[in-house]
Amino acid sequence: MRTKQTAIGAALAALALLCALFATTASAAPAWKFEGKSLEGTETILGAATESSMTIPGLTTKCENFLYKIKIKNEGGTGKGEVTELPLYNCTTNTKNCVVTAIAAQKLPWAAHLATFSSSNYVVIEGVNVSIEYGNEACVFYETIVNVTGSAGGIVNNETETATFNATTLSASKTELKALSSKIEWNGVFPTEAFEWHREQAISVS
Amino acid sequence: MQAKRARIACVALAALALASLFGLATGAQAKLTGEFTKFANCEYKNTEVKKCIYSVTESGEVVLGKKKVPIEKQVILQGGYGKAVEGFSKFYGATNGVTLSKAPQNVPGGLLGIVPEAESPALVKALIKFFLENKLTGLNSTLELAKPASEIRVGENHLAGEFDTALEMPVKVHLENPFLGKNCYVGSSTSPIVWKLTTGTTAPPAPNKAISGSAGSLEVLEEGAVARLTGTKLVDNAWSAPKATGCGGILAFLVNPIVNTQLGTITAGNNTAILNNTITIGSAFATKENDETHP
Repeated sequence: MRTKQTAIGAALAALALLCALFATTASAAPAWKFEGKSLEGTETILGAATESSMTIPGLTTKCENFLYKIKIKNEGGTGKGEVTELPLYNCTTNTKNCVVTAIAAQKLPWAAHLATFSSSNYVVIEGVNVSIEYGNEACVFYETIVNVTGSAGGIVNNETETATFNATTLSASKTELKALSSKIEWNGVFPTEAFEWHREQAISVS
Repeated sequence: MQAKRARIACVALAALALASLFGLATGAQAKLTGEFTKFANCEYKNTEVKKCIYSVTESGEVVLGKKKVPIEKQVILQGGYGKAVEGFSKFYGATNGVTLSKAPQNVPGGLLGIVPEAESPALVKALIKFFLENKLTGLNSTLELAKPASEIRVGENHLAGEFDTALEMPVKVHLENPFLGKNCYVGSSTSPIVWKLTTGTTAPPAPNKAISGSAGSLEVLEEGAVARLTGTKLVDNAWSAPKATGCGGILAFLVNPIVNTQLGTITAGNNTAILNNTITIGSAFATKENDETHP
């Protein structure tokens, strides 16, 4: 009899432990919040990168106007979204021989979701696809379309309301961007601001 | 007096000839700098040539039937290529005529093909090498182009994108040993071995299995004019080879079958080429500019 009671007790304890674990996992999934309250329905956030560049070792491509538009929502307590627009203008390279003749985001929308890595919150963008056409016959990529593909994770800063992408954040979020089969670096700081129902409200991720 | 004038005229003519010769030589010699020096034998002045290429195969292996030849000596492929049409560019051979360098590679086990087990004692390995891989019984294999360089095709986007054929080359293998004579070849200009090398994954017939190459790591140099791929692995294990011919000189009718027995089955699915390279590609236009700015 006592053995039976002990077994039931152990099973209940295990169940309680599982529930606690599940609850921890669920609460760990970050969500989009405005003024500290979870977003209900959808919202559109947009902005322009204060600085953004993509680097193949030896060739950095920088765009003065790096705009973006993301449609966000919370689904099952986790922040989701999709990048719907990414117009890129005034792009240059750090080399004498290569000029950017065309650059465009391809295969939009790109899926995005929020995730936590080492207790920091990240926005992870998947299915990134940017095509770059370099001009000038002296450029080794002349008449070659360079496609930047992969996924990218940027760390979210609730205080500054920005998402920062760089080599450290890509590595921490286990994401990778490639061009011509080689790993590339993407550096960018993106301010986030609601454009529809939550204009001028503080946006955060937690 | 007349003789003196004639002598002066002769000296002047000789000096002129020397000066023009020197001038010609100087003019013909490319004064390339930096990474562009690799493209000294690229036909970069030809406006049809868009890119120059200098590829060094540093290691790898070629398996021909039962013979496995490790690549121990560097093999260089150099030249240029034009604008891609339907994914492939026409190749322009090296201006010095050496599009594919000839590097004789030692065939382990020599003519008899006796290769010690990997776990054999060092002394056994050394003895076998001494007796079977010497000048008399040793066997070298040298890769040569089987057709003109213009028959090479480059798939630049495939090379970087790790799909389809990156480099197609008609080749032949020269087997060299005093007993085999000077004309012992597997493959010929009429029946070449065609390598369709990829940085992607192969789909060979059995018994070979799929293997994968790699585009390697990319680095851009010379202000965007040059790209260097390191750790590029080009593979093909779906190629077939014709039987060896011309082995043993006048005794070819006797020696060819022996060589072919030694090679074993060399139909598609039994052969492999794995080439580990450093590939440098440059803009032909920038190479020409570099030449002109360094007269």
